[in-house]
Amino acid sequence: MDKRFLVVIAFIVLVTVVAITFSSYYFTLLEMQQYRPGMSEQSLDINLKNGSPVLGSENAPVTIIEFGDYQCEACYHWFHNTRADIIDNYIETGKAKLVFVDLPFLGRDSIVAAQATYCAEDQGKYWDYHNTLYNFQEEIDNGWASKDRLIAFAFNLDMNLDEFSDCLDTAKYNKRVKANYDEAVKQGAQGTPTFIIIAPDGSTTKIAGPQPYSAFVKVMSPLTSAVQIEQP
Amino acid sequence: MFSRYSYSIIAVVIFVSMLIPLSILSGFIFTEPFFIFHVTEASSFSFVLIIGVSVMSAIVIPMNVYRIKTLQKSTSKIGGSVIGSIIGASAGICSCGPIGFSIISTFGTVAGTAAAFLTNYEIPLRIGSIALLCLVYYTTTRSISSECKIS
Repeated sequence: MDKRFLVVIAFIVLVTVVAITFSSYYFTLLEMQQYRPGMSEQSLDINLKNGSPVLGSENAPVTIIEFGDYQCEACYHWFHNTRADIIDNYIETGKAKLVFVDLPFLGRDSIVAAQATYCAEDQGKYWDYHNTLYNFQEEIDNGWASKDRLIAFAFNLDMNLDEFSDCLDTAKYNKRVKANYDEAVKQGAQGTPTFIIIAPDGSTTKIAGPQPYSAFVKVMSPLTSAVQIEQP
Repeated sequence: MFSRYSYSIIAVVIFVSMLIPLSILSGFIFTEPFFIFHVTEASSFSFVLIIGVSVMSAIVIPMNVYRIKTLQKSTSKIGGSVIGSIIGASAGICSCGPIGFSIISTFGTVAGTAAAFLTNYEIPLRIGSIALLCLVYYTTTRSISSECKIS
């Protein structure tokens, strides 16, 4: 076939893909702006009932919502570089609480991994399981989060395997994970990890990407310094 | 060739327009809610590769523009440099960020598989694209020096 013809076809395909992607991104942004203009400074109605159990004190004045995917490398980096400092300085001191909301979009195993965390929650081990997934994360859909591996993680955490396997096989938390995905999209998460910090007065600040601890301090220090902290 | 301002400007524009968007999309520069530049020890190699792709693209593409415009030569080499730049740029940017999210949510499973490939093989793909750009640089330099030789 003529070489020039192939180049033209490749160019047209590339332009089409870029155009569709851009328009999709643009219209999503437009929809979000129509849904709630000036998001970063306004109070939001965020539905967290399908998210993770709260990490930290229920009475903490500041809420950190993390929208994440268990196969996302950026989430892995945030988990290993930033999260520990937030836990030490904000969660354990009762200044803030953390809620994880699933945004599983990267691969087929992302959804099953998210469902598995709620199967672990049934046995009181949500956060142990969550931490295990981020400690053992590998490449997207290479089998590290296959059903067998997820069961092996449960075994390592001394969970009841029959109950856990049954929960996974019946896709017990399929709707819950889907609801979390929809909530994340509704709140304007355009990738993972995305964070929404809810201040005591209900105003919100969005932090997009695996940002360093200093970025969280800049946002959270003014919010936590003014309020009386009830020790957990 | 780079003594001409126009080609130096093209080189600088290509370098900046690759480095900054790639750094944002790869999570080295954050703009919301504050401007932050942040490279962790674990991801420093990835950042070095982004600089490598940007530098090589900024050198090779203007060289080929010069070759085509001034020497009226074929466009085959610029094809190699553009392909090298596209591979280097697209590796990794389809992962967890907004581009990956848009592509996967628009095109579904097939895009998801492609994005997973670009993410999983980010480093080898970027190294490959730098190697391709180096090869194009070598052949272009030879071509320009032989074509410009005064016999």
